Amino acid sequence: MNSTRKLWCAVILLAGFHALILFAGFFAPYAPAAQDRDLPFAPPTSIHFRDAQGRFHFRPFVYGLKDDPANPGGYEADPDKMYALSSFVRGAPYKVAGLVGSHLHLFGVAADGRVFLMGTDGYGRDQFSRFLYGGQISLLAGLLAAALSVSLGVLVGALAGFYGGWIDDLLMRGSEIFLALPWLYLLFAVRAALPLHVAEWQVFLLLIAVIGMIGWARPARLIRGVVLSAKERKFVVAARGFGASDAHLLFTHVLPQTYGVVLTQLALLIPQYVLAEVTLSFLGLGVGEPMASWGTLLAALQQYYVLASYWWMFLPALLLIPLFLGYYATADALQERLKAVPL
Amino acid sequence: MTRYISRRLVHAILLLLAVSFFSFGLLQLAPGDFFDAMRLNPEISQRTVANIRSEYGLDGPLPIRYERWLSSMLKGDFGFSLASNGPVAPLLCVRVRNTLLLSGTATVLAWLLALPIGVWSAAKRGTWGDRISRVATSTILTIPDLLLFLGLLLLAVRTGWFPTGGMVSPGADDLDAWGRAKDVAVHLALPALGLAVVMLPVLVRHVRSAMMDVLESPFVRAGRGHGIPRGRLLFRYALPAASNPLISLLGFSIATMLSTSMLAEVVLSWPGLGPLLVESILSRDVYVVVAIVMLSSVFLVFGNLLADLLLFASDPRIRAE
Amino acid sequence: MRADTQDGTQPIDPVMRAVNLAKRHIQRRPMTQREFTVRAFEDVNLTIHRGTTLAIVGESGAGKSTLARCLALLEEPTAGEIWFDGRDLLRLHKKERFPLHRQIQLIFQDPTAALNPRLTAEEIITEPLAVQRIGPKEKRRRRALDFMEQVGLASSDYSKRPLEFSGGQRQRLAIARALALEPKLLILDEALSSLDLLNQQMILKLLADLRMAHSLTYVHISHDLQLVSEFAEEVAVMSAGRIVEQKPAAELFARPEQAETKALLAAMPPLESILMRRPA
Repeated sequence: MNSTRKLWCAVILLAGFHALILFAGFFAPYAPAAQDRDLPFAPPTSIHFRDAQGRFHFRPFVYGLKDDPANPGGYEADPDKMYALSSFVRGAPYKVAGLVGSHLHLFGVAADGRVFLMGTDGYGRDQFSRFLYGGQISLLAGLLAAALSVSLGVLVGALAGFYGGWIDDLLMRGSEIFLALPWLYLLFAVRAALPLHVAEWQVFLLLIAVIGMIGWARPARLIRGVVLSAKERKFVVAARGFGASDAHLLFTHVLPQTYGVVLTQLALLIPQYVLAEVTLSFLGLGVGEPMASWGTLLAALQQYYVLASYWWMFLPALLLIPLFLGYYATADALQERLKAVPL
Repeated sequence: MTRYISRRLVHAILLLLAVSFFSFGLLQLAPGDFFDAMRLNPEISQRTVANIRSEYGLDGPLPIRYERWLSSMLKGDFGFSLASNGPVAPLLCVRVRNTLLLSGTATVLAWLLALPIGVWSAAKRGTWGDRISRVATSTILTIPDLLLFLGLLLLAVRTGWFPTGGMVSPGADDLDAWGRAKDVAVHLALPALGLAVVMLPVLVRHVRSAMMDVLESPFVRAGRGHGIPRGRLLFRYALPAASNPLISLLGFSIATMLSTSMLAEVVLSWPGLGPLLVESILSRDVYVVVAIVMLSSVFLVFGNLLADLLLFASDPRIRAE
Repeated sequence: MRADTQDGTQPIDPVMRAVNLAKRHIQRRPMTQREFTVRAFEDVNLTIHRGTTLAIVGESGAGKSTLARCLALLEEPTAGEIWFDGRDLLRLHKKERFPLHRQIQLIFQDPTAALNPRLTAEEIITEPLAVQRIGPKEKRRRRALDFMEQVGLASSDYSKRPLEFSGGQRQRLAIARALALEPKLLILDEALSSLDLLNQQMILKLLADLRMAHSLTYVHISHDLQLVSEFAEEVAVMSAGRIVEQKPAAELFARPEQAETKALLAAMPPLESILMRRPA
């Protein structure tokens, strides 16, 4: 498969995933904080087309849950209670991107029924809904932090590469220090220096700032390399020849050469940073309850009995794989294209 | 030659100084005086607190405080841990040993696997075997480390083949030395395996690409023309020629030995630096946090220095200046 | 077409004079980092007469390209003066130099490298106009299309990118860009070397036509003495960083004085065939 097609496949996969997360309110049947204390650790709900009597229904349905006498704490399906699965139902209110309000959900069941696509956690909260909403936090953190890192990298790399001399020396020495520090440890250490209990959105922003400000060194070096070779190109010299200012040279001729590297770095950093946020939250150092990020969803797995008995709690981690795949495939395809085009 | 070494050494020391500034800065950032909490502890008298404060130079101006902190670090005194009510240094010693045991084993394992796989993959480029190994390494790269370790934990829990955490079983003190060693080894198996798998893809990729470059070169082709058997050609002739980037990589492996195992330790409950770091952050035990960061940075910087020196010693082209 | 320089009694006002120009840079040996001085050129005295075509020739490495760039204000010589319009360009501030770029332009050897592959032909030609803040956008655009026609390109190709043009066309594009600012002096650094013979002749003809239309003065840098003999009116010979001889072309070819000139000429095919090819 040639690199363009690979690129499109990866991008479409990513776009789909991100759309799911962006419109979490629409795709999720329940609000993320909605608890169902009667149904802690319920397994994923099976969707049926054929009922216990063997009759086929066009509209899929789910069974109600009742306690399983043979398995304390477990559940079994109640064949007497059948709830049809409808699409475009009216449910709990939500806001898309915090702006547009709506009540519309893609699917749902009647009020007494429950459809837990990924089961529930200890508080009876729907994991599927929490996964989608949690993605908003983790993914947004990764995207913003990567944007921050790469922007800093472009700034530093362009200045260092274009002007050279002492600016270059100073900036590159600075980047060496950042590269010399073990990334994860540094992240944790800076997190430690910050107050442990602050308002949630502040934690979120701080997290982004910290993750983003640690990772600029490598992009900066790569961009510096591109700028160094770009500024020697004859068309840049020619532009100097009609009196172009440094700013004009940078923006019109030099920086456009860096687009490829910038995009590739973004594609590589975003999954890393998402994982950083997930790790921090997993360890209780990131966003805290009840704000659900993927990390907090996975944190329950640190308890032995959860790990041993409730396999569906793993699903959020498994669903990270296609996300990473999409980004890495994008980065690969971009790198192939970069090598092929001798700009 | 000594000029090269001394230049790199000076460079490393300057780098570490910069790191120490940074760590010290972190220390200052932590809100509240560390000893506020200590003062609240009824077991410690006010006098002791005051003494320790002046000993750490906390009552002086900034440069003095930095100098005293730095000099005490250099002497091996890493501060005081509130959480465990004792000096930090001995606390770290044990943990460092455990971490190195884990990451050392994993690194050796990873390299032992990566070399043959990478070499073979490069030699059989384009064949099914090569493609499989490339898909496998890409797959492992795509799986987040966290997931991998959780998965291994699940495996341990479900199958009971491995212990699910810790370094020793309860009651291990009663065993003899050999029994204790076996006990540790059994506990070591899962985390080391997991960590090795995580390290593997990058190593294999580098070995493969380094080997591919060498296999294209004239002297290898000449060797083939002379009829040197394939295995010997690969390992006795080609691999040494590919060693430059690999030695750097080895240096990098060594340099990161204190930091790579962090997540594995936390998830699989291996008592190394990782869990200590997390606990210290949660309990606001600042000196421990700073000490860990400094220590792992020192390791990193000196590991890289070692890599440069190894490269210098092994490659006659660099030496001939 | 020659300006009348042969009339000894009427010195034609020079458009540019280089006096004692020198350029040295310091390089470091790769491993030991020891410094050593590289002299690109020294004691260069050059007079460029208005309306002529001066060729600076010499073997590769004689410092010609560096000299060309210094004359075009792309590099700073380390010593000397460049007189243009009654002023020493090297003493001017950056701001004062800014409008001078409209008067002196350089054409590079490799047109593919000299044109930004991401820009369209129109953008390439309007860029200097935009940088020098000439006219509203519409005016710049019209000028660009006009110049495209003048250099022999179809103005309907304005949205094409350099790689969509042939080699010869790219050099025309570069010339159009240089001319957009309506300079007085055009310096061509081996501008014909990368073209095939047919394109060389076509570009030479184009340059001759343009000179008439825009009152230009040309300085050609070339190592190809044979080519130079076809169009140059004056020739300066450069060897090891020094100008050894500067004379009207016919005189130089007929009666070379310096050893270096003789050596260069000796490498060429017999003089008679050259002299026979030159127009009267």
